[in-house]
Amino acid sequence: MSVATIQNLVVRYGNFTALNGLSCEISEGCTGLLGPNGAGKTTLIKTILGFIKPTSGTATVLGYDIEAAGTAIRQKVGLMPEQDCHIPGTTAVQFVAYAGELAGMPGDQAIRRAHEVLDYCGLGEARYRNVETYSTGMKQRIKLAQALVHGPKLLLLDEPTNGLDPAGREEMLELVRSVSHGKGLSVIVSSHLLPDIERVCDRVVVVMQGQLRAQGTIKDLKKIEGRPVDIELRDPSPAFVTAMQAQGAVVMPPKRTTYRIQLPGLPEEVAKIAMQVARDSGAQVRGFVIAERSLEDAFLEAISAK
Amino acid sequence: MASPIADLTYRNYDGPLEPPINRWWAIAKLSMKLSTKKKGFWAWSTLSAFWYIILLIFFYFTETVVSNVGAVGQKASPINNLIWKDQFLNAFGESQLFLFILALLMGAGTIANDNRAKALLVYLSKPCSKLDYVIGKWLGIFVPMTIVTAVPALIFYMYCLMSYRSAGFWTQDPWLIVRLLGMILIPGTLYSSITLAISSMFQQGRLAGGVFAGVYFISYFITLAMEGAYVSMSMGGSNPPGIVKGLFYCSVDGLQAAMAKIILHTNGSPKLPIPGGAKFQVPEPSTFIFVPAFFGVCALSLLIAWSQIRAVEVVR
Repeated sequence: MSVATIQNLVVRYGNFTALNGLSCEISEGCTGLLGPNGAGKTTLIKTILGFIKPTSGTATVLGYDIEAAGTAIRQKVGLMPEQDCHIPGTTAVQFVAYAGELAGMPGDQAIRRAHEVLDYCGLGEARYRNVETYSTGMKQRIKLAQALVHGPKLLLLDEPTNGLDPAGREEMLELVRSVSHGKGLSVIVSSHLLPDIERVCDRVVVVMQGQLRAQGTIKDLKKIEGRPVDIELRDPSPAFVTAMQAQGAVVMPPKRTTYRIQLPGLPEEVAKIAMQVARDSGAQVRGFVIAERSLEDAFLEAISAK
Repeated sequence: MASPIADLTYRNYDGPLEPPINRWWAIAKLSMKLSTKKKGFWAWSTLSAFWYIILLIFFYFTETVVSNVGAVGQKASPINNLIWKDQFLNAFGESQLFLFILALLMGAGTIANDNRAKALLVYLSKPCSKLDYVIGKWLGIFVPMTIVTAVPALIFYMYCLMSYRSAGFWTQDPWLIVRLLGMILIPGTLYSSITLAISSMFQQGRLAGGVFAGVYFISYFITLAMEGAYVSMSMGGSNPPGIVKGLFYCSVDGLQAAMAKIILHTNGSPKLPIPGGAKFQVPEPSTFIFVPAFFGVCALSLLIAWSQIRAVEVVR
């Protein structure tokens, strides 16, 4: 089931077109919204929430139309914005409880839940401190806490690791990963940091110049056409290469002792042939994996495609 | 590492949710809570009642003196000659500066600080509309300010009702309580609207406060100048022109004075018992001009605030 369906969405800021006929479908689970700076990721999130009125096109989020049911959408969605944001003059627990009350939670429930999510986000010890005194990492955590407080069905995270040091980034990604898997909560993570997306998401939507460039599971995007395999040998072996070519395989230039081989047939069949050839040519096989490209390569290909 | 006693894993919220019709109340509650946490709020609120305290002291001494001079003296007591509603008008006028400071304290940063902290992203990403936000912020200033205006006025009213019925407190105007209830709504309505508009235009509460103070004092000088002109013309025996009377009320202070005079239906009387002092009071203004003007200023201010509130800054 999809959590968001977007069809031909156009958003213009004056003469500038931020989203240019974007169509995509975002499935349940954790989805990465990938794109370079200025691709339209944040605009898409803000349009989904009803902050920006689309020029044309339609979109539904959790079954609600974005133009007709903004309030219902925001009731079920939590936003962790890119920029630091807080309610001035409040402590963390007041801030998060207040966010809960704004979402319709009764006061006592909001306070109880605020304590719960602050604990979950690792701010338990600092919950009575004024938010303005928080470090960048803590501010990121409290933004996540206020987005989670009302128990949303969809969480929108806009650059969740912005400004974090490596340790803070690890912790934030771990939080995002944990919240987005097995908790009945779908997450859309907008980022231009491929390792972050790869770490937490199952699927990606690649956006460039306001248009969809690619979408699917990370596994599928990383797949290479023709399903080649990578065979790692103990030592370089020209005899192995020659024998494989004799079998009709296309052998790409090796990286150290790893050969990328493309041969028609299932990977199991290719493995069988490769093992036989290795044995015959006296090469020792150290590894055998189905070759895949990096997410970075897939991303670069997607954004460079016209 | 020992695991914590509490279950700290994420659980979804499945408790009750209220319908999205009263989000403004949550906003108003927090605004009031943050305002009343400030010591200044209590200090300036107390000071705003100072004229009522002076009146009570005046009554006490007058009664003490009068009780020593017998029945003839009691008949000539200045309390018997008071126009009671004018006492409320005078106290209202004297509290203006303090109420302005209160408005500055509560209202200047109300939206400006939210702009600085990008809090609108929090508000508007929840099921809470721009209207909820404006109403909540407006009530967050209006309610405390109205209470601050109402409490001393109503206490003074009750005291006078119990003590000075024989001095004409009830017979002069039996509807005074209704008029008072109208009058005490004036500062809250005007200040909360104006401060909201000014605050929405800035990213810093201090800057918004500076501009609000500028608007208040510059317009106040107009009122002062017109008052001076009115008094000098009256002393010279000439009838001040309508423009002087009109401009007297063209300030933040003046507009409230105009509304108070219209609601109390009085021209006012001097605070000190100066013989013939009543003729130096700028008379009650035209209801048909100043009531629409008052509500127009409030509506325009709210419209400005409304137009300034955006979850995202859209650069065109």
